[in-house]
Amino acid sequence: MRPIVRRILTSPPAGLAMVILLLGGILTLFAGAHVDRRTGLEVNNFLNSNTLVQTATDASFFAVMAVGATFVIISGGIDLSVGSVYALAGVAMALALRALGPMSSGGTVGAGLAVSLGVGLVCGLLNGTMVVGLPVHPFVITLGTMWILRGLAFVISRAESILVPPALTGVAKASLGLTGSLYPVPMLVMLAAAVLGALYLERTVMGRHIFALGGNAEASRFAGLRLGRIQMGVYLVSGLTAGLAAFLGASFYGSASCGDAAGYELYVIASAVVGGASLTGGKGSAVSAMLGALLIVLIRQSIRTLRLDQNYEWIVIGCAIIIAVVLDQGSARVAARRLEAAPAGGTR
Amino acid sequence: MSCARVRALAATTVLAAVLAACGSRQAPAPAGAASPGAAGSSPAARKRLKVALIAKSSTNPVFLSARVGAEAAAREAAKRTGVEVEVAWLTPPQEDGQVQAQRIAQAVNEGADAVVISCSDAGKVTGAIDDAVARGLAVMTFDSDAPQSKRFAFYGVDDVKTGHAVMSELAAQMGGKGKVAVLCGNQNAPNLQKRVQGVKEEAGSRPGISIVGVFPHIETPQDAAAEVIRVNNAYPEIQGWAMVGGWPLFTRTLLDEIDPRRMKIVAVDALPVELPYIEKGLAPVLLAQPTYLWGEVSVNTVVDKIVLGKQVPERIPMELVRVSKDNLGDWARQLKGWGFTDVPDRYLHMGERAK
Repeated sequence: MRPIVRRILTSPPAGLAMVILLLGGILTLFAGAHVDRRTGLEVNNFLNSNTLVQTATDASFFAVMAVGATFVIISGGIDLSVGSVYALAGVAMALALRALGPMSSGGTVGAGLAVSLGVGLVCGLLNGTMVVGLPVHPFVITLGTMWILRGLAFVISRAESILVPPALTGVAKASLGLTGSLYPVPMLVMLAAAVLGALYLERTVMGRHIFALGGNAEASRFAGLRLGRIQMGVYLVSGLTAGLAAFLGASFYGSASCGDAAGYELYVIASAVVGGASLTGGKGSAVSAMLGALLIVLIRQSIRTLRLDQNYEWIVIGCAIIIAVVLDQGSARVAARRLEAAPAGGTR
Repeated sequence: MSCARVRALAATTVLAAVLAACGSRQAPAPAGAASPGAAGSSPAARKRLKVALIAKSSTNPVFLSARVGAEAAAREAAKRTGVEVEVAWLTPPQEDGQVQAQRIAQAVNEGADAVVISCSDAGKVTGAIDDAVARGLAVMTFDSDAPQSKRFAFYGVDDVKTGHAVMSELAAQMGGKGKVAVLCGNQNAPNLQKRVQGVKEEAGSRPGISIVGVFPHIETPQDAAAEVIRVNNAYPEIQGWAMVGGWPLFTRTLLDEIDPRRMKIVAVDALPVELPYIEKGLAPVLLAQPTYLWGEVSVNTVVDKIVLGKQVPERIPMELVRVSKDNLGDWARQLKGWGFTDVPDRYLHMGERAK
């Protein structure tokens, strides 16, 4: 087998992709079929372009956030505020666009993107500054900002669900030449975020510094790394991805409210952890976090597609998270034993 | 065999199975089965109707009764029309407009013919409703509307009028004067916002009544009851609660916490678990939404439109039922008849002898 193919197949995301494929296969076999009213043909309830794109779209909003959260988790931190950053960024964007009034489509999209990303960055800066400057665990800091930012969103929106201009929805729901009510933009943004995140983490010196900080903070300090700057950077990335997800979500669904993404922080962290990120730091992958988000959405989807009692949804997701992490740690132990057993200069 | 080869083999096998399954199901549909959900399709050709029911939250008992009503209506409609009517319950576990929009898309992708929805956030679901309509589904709202969407009908109470009725009943119970708190549930829900508007308007027209505040909360019984207790502690001058939903009365907590001689409650909804509040006089009047009818009327309306090809009105008004000690027994029996299994026996026999 060619080395590159072998490398891809033995990489951590490959295992997760395999699980997703397997689950997809099971869903396809047992989902049943319906008659498509456009073509008059019988189509599988799961394996059709609309369901596949819809599943990816559902995952994309917290998969984008999960990429940012993976940066934080790899560094040994945690960010519980991402759902609130999402709500605040979305609400601020909608209010700003309402205040600015009618603009050209390009202007509306540019202004919306600038506000949501800007709010995300400011929130990331707030988290990063407090994590670096205060002798308090990031869990506590971001738990506090989770409530503060949600409260801010509530106060500034007055609990109103604010509609965003149609130009934004036009962008988020652009068909890009596809037919049949397919909206691939959120999926493409998710893929782009995962690829960029992976390139940054694995192909840049700054990315390797994040792994170093999470793997051994003391050693990193002695190696001369500027830990405060790295920590600040990861919270900025987390805020930025939450802002991007907010732009995407509010644009796609057409409105923003202070209740948006309530509880999503747990899905985001679960996505990263299912994707192999270690909560003790030093380990994780942006692509795997995206796959983790896809897997969680697929599990939710499967409960409904297979017509199981959906009251069991949370139980199934909880079990799946534990099983995924246990399997991942088991395979890591096996790999470590193989490495120990391999002769020097042998298999990587 | 190396790990990489095992994975490659597994991936190929799964892909092959998936593609095989996909290919085997791409068969031409039977004649007459095409475009089954589109309005105006031939009623005679239809064998089956799939209705996706998307309420706000599957942990709220009022929506569970709507489900019972929808399923009963589906059985009745099947007998009446000869068309098999299936109700697919796609309600999210917690209120989330975004998840509701996703469930609408899922219903479309899985071949539903109609969607019946109570909107948690009209702004969030309007786009998804319009997409579903564009793809040939009939969409109807109940309880909480999305008026800007392309839904064909709405069934529910007039929310502003309901707010007026709540405040009017409460003012009567309080002798026309006193301080009132308003419990408003999810602040994003447009129907609840309108009820609060009605409460405020009615209070504004009564010089003796003043509102100390409007209090939102997470729409679970425990959270709602805890919010009422917190507010009562913070505002000891409160003499009445205007509740635009019955959430805290789904627990027994307030029966022990509040003295009925000091405070009165008027709330929307009168489910079995709330009936002791009427009996003990803490909530002398409850304004019941016949929540069972949300499901029943909605399914019947969808059947009328799609299967029977009838014209249906765009707004179908739901009337509130005033429940007090006077008609507690009748109401309890009505609830039992609608399939509620938790109606206390003592209410079922109330008022029977007089009849």
